[in-house]
Amino acid sequence: MKAKYVNPFLNATMGLFKDFLGLDVTPGKPFVVDDPQDLSDVSALIGLAGETTGALVLSFSRDTALRVVSRLSGKDYLALGSEVLDGVGELVNIIAGNAKKDLLDFRIVISLPGVITGNSYRINWPRGVPVISIPFASDAGDFRVNVSLKELA
Amino acid sequence: MKILIVDDSEVMRRIHRNTLLEQRIPEDALLEASDGVEAMKLAIAEEIDLFLVDWNMPNLDGLSFVKKLRDMGNYAKTPIIMITSEAAKYNVVEAINAGVTNYVVKPIRGTILWDKIAPYLKDVG
Repeated sequence: MKAKYVNPFLNATMGLFKDFLGLDVTPGKPFVVDDPQDLSDVSALIGLAGETTGALVLSFSRDTALRVVSRLSGKDYLALGSEVLDGVGELVNIIAGNAKKDLLDFRIVISLPGVITGNSYRINWPRGVPVISIPFASDAGDFRVNVSLKELA
Repeated sequence: MKILIVDDSEVMRRIHRNTLLEQRIPEDALLEASDGVEAMKLAIAEEIDLFLVDWNMPNLDGLSFVKKLRDMGNYAKTPIIMITSEAAKYNVVEAINAGVTNYVVKPIRGTILWDKIAPYLKDVG
């Protein structure tokens, strides 16, 4: 997948976590994922449709999810309740919606976000399209943004 | 004065609500809905002075809600601020064409959000 399709998601993530939430965030080098089902405790998924198809997943540990959503909401959460899962969904919604600003090759429609916890689930990534993972280190904990976007021929 | 916050995210509604409360908007002026259907019921039951509307919601999305609202005579000119993560230019154009008064891209909160809302409250008692 070309950098011009990965960078909008990287930049949108930095805008949210670093600029808006004020976290100290460092992105790592994006890489092609061997096993796209290998995710952390809490993952938020959003589908991308329209002139292309794809998916975006934000995945982090339980503790990182709690810290990040507490920062977003301004309220301290200690357990993965419905409000935290709602907040995690909103995070991926913001990344996807903001990334559209720089994805100039296609008109994209984003789905409503879904949030999954635990490890007994499978995500139906678009077939035949590599999943790129962008790793991030932050003072709230590490997290990953996985993106798959079918490029137009 | 009545302000209706329409967003399917409870966390986002909390952020908007806190922004308004910090600016001394009275709590009883704030109404909330978690989708366009619920918002439409409140719009019919109450006299809303300002709408803060998300785009992506289940049941009835924000854009469809705005179009329905504008078709109701009593809300033809009421300020509607769309507050959404949708940052593409074509989304902004679509929302303006549907009748939103202003368009604000999430994430936003605090005084930056208030600066977008305040001008529409000047004429509201």
